[in-house]
Amino acid sequence: MTEILPTPTTWPSILLGDAADGSGRPGRADEAPPFAALRQAIAGHGPIGTIGAVVASGLRGRGGGGYPTGEKWRAAAAMDASRRYVVANGYGADPAVTTDRTLMERRPAAVVEGAAIAAFAIGASEAIIAVRAEATAAIAALEAAIAAGEAAGRLGPDAIAPGRDLIVRVRTVQGAYMLGEETVLLKALEGRRGQPEQRPPHPTERGLFGAPTVVQNVQTLAALPWIFRHGPEAFAATGAPHSPGTILVQVRGPERTGIAEVPLGTRLGDIVDLGGAVAAGHRLKAILVGGPSGGILPTDALDTPYDFGPLREAGAHVGSGSVIAVDDRACVVDLARLLTRFCADEACGKTIPCRIGTRRLTEIGDRVVGGLPRPTDLQLLADLSHDMVESALCDHERLTTLPYMSGMRYFRAEIDDHVLRSSCPAGVCHPLAVTAAVGAQ
Amino acid sequence: MSQLPGLGIVKGMAVTLRHFFEPKATIRYPEVAATITPKFRGRLQLLYDEWGTLKCETCFQCAQACPIECIDMGGTDTKGRYHVHWGAPETYGERRDESALRRSGRTVPDPAYTHFEMPDDLAAVDAILDEHDRDPARMLAILEATQARYGYLPVAALKRISHATGAWYAMIYGTASYYRHLRFEAPEAVEQAAAIADHRPSEEAFVAALDAALRRPGRA
Repeated sequence: MTEILPTPTTWPSILLGDAADGSGRPGRADEAPPFAALRQAIAGHGPIGTIGAVVASGLRGRGGGGYPTGEKWRAAAAMDASRRYVVANGYGADPAVTTDRTLMERRPAAVVEGAAIAAFAIGASEAIIAVRAEATAAIAALEAAIAAGEAAGRLGPDAIAPGRDLIVRVRTVQGAYMLGEETVLLKALEGRRGQPEQRPPHPTERGLFGAPTVVQNVQTLAALPWIFRHGPEAFAATGAPHSPGTILVQVRGPERTGIAEVPLGTRLGDIVDLGGAVAAGHRLKAILVGGPSGGILPTDALDTPYDFGPLREAGAHVGSGSVIAVDDRACVVDLARLLTRFCADEACGKTIPCRIGTRRLTEIGDRVVGGLPRPTDLQLLADLSHDMVESALCDHERLTTLPYMSGMRYFRAEIDDHVLRSSCPAGVCHPLAVTAAVGAQ
Repeated sequence: MSQLPGLGIVKGMAVTLRHFFEPKATIRYPEVAATITPKFRGRLQLLYDEWGTLKCETCFQCAQACPIECIDMGGTDTKGRYHVHWGAPETYGERRDESALRRSGRTVPDPAYTHFEMPDDLAAVDAILDEHDRDPARMLAILEATQARYGYLPVAALKRISHATGAWYAMIYGTASYYRHLRFEAPEAVEQAAAIADHRPSEEAFVAALDAALRRPGRA
């Protein structure tokens, strides 16, 4: 199991609750009776009041996009349909990140209860929690939480009222990185080839089996019981003004790797510090934020708040919730090439800008790293990235350009060293060293 | 009238000439759509890239879109796996030449077909189908159960699933070829059996490569 990093005790603990070191934290998840929040939503708020409370809390989707959760529910509830679904995305596509899985292992009841609250609010009778098939511990924990809810009469057939079912079930998915994307996940749950769909119509209009569907990350849902226990105002007071609450971040630091629950709007530097100090003789060079399609930010960006909007402006994104400290032993071009190659390998192939574009990006990176860049390569990189973003079908291809684009924006000098002077300042790209040695003779 | 000799030719030539003298213009698709006659089916063309390999990635998108299921294909997909699909050999890019031989009336030895003809014991597939209500919406569960039973997805089993669920074969095949944990050949028949036994080869490789790029010793 992944380590939970110790965080400053002033940070609220909403998601991990008592799983983290706990006592004395503001708004720590207490030992409330299970499914109390669900009962409160059903008996006290009603569907419209529940959506209103979520809107008032300002909760935003933790899946990376940061779309307001209440708006999403409102759109799905407003659709005229006989069936609706809630899908909890617990796939956790980034292979280096286990935040969602850890959350489901440690707080399965919160995830299940959150999914049930969402289903009740939008008028769905079924909520599906999609989990990676390898995450057997998370699946077992969720199944146990669902069984407990059914035994208590909170879940199952006729749980809301006679004739109103509230069924939560776990479905396993596996076999593709793209399953993290919401429309791809819906396709997999329908038993089809996992390729994204054109939006609009959004899943809230036409989603799983053509029914209005709310797809939320498990972290979003796990925050819901807390919101109902402590009130939406208390939630809105935590985190950043426009994105309240906390989010799970996987920090890969020089000393420690682990998961931390971080209030949104925290200074990026404070998050990096959780991973420990850079080894003696080296210095922090960059921070990779957002996973395989993340941005490579310079140390100047350490003051950026960890929040959806500011990170996007800085050239990165929240993405999978991964924050990786990069010291001066790593080469930015090499790193960007590695990330882009992974994204290219995992592209589903539905659209040409993605299928061909990501491959061309990888080839440009291979040429630069291999010491044989063409003079036009950097312009090509910029043009290609721009075209891919403009013609993108889903966020995968839009964000795959981020490693190179953020690299070009902040580390242009290092890229120029590769292209113009055939040298790698970090000494990583070996063919270049040979080229330089031959050139020096 | 129809008995008048040559009238058919005149009618045909009239159509030809009308098209011949029509104004030719490049239209701004997709803003403007060309008028397409109902029977127009376009022309299938397989393109090659600058290294002479087929650009077709066996994604089965075209086969799934084809209203009369006339498109079938074989080849290597983006993950380096080899697929051969049952269907009209004329549509296989890589087997055009053999198809020409076949059309000329000569028999062509066809190893690609032999393992499709193997009689599989399909009772297990029927049991799996019944267990899942023959519901195409539960296709992934059906395919995973089939693979658990046979070790891979035999073509005969896929055909049986297609027949029983009513889902198109191309749909099923396209679904199965997408997910990395589903395979079409027995593990021992594939060169890198060890790599396939591990469901997440590219993910593990990515994490290892990331550590290497960061100059970190091993995975924490």
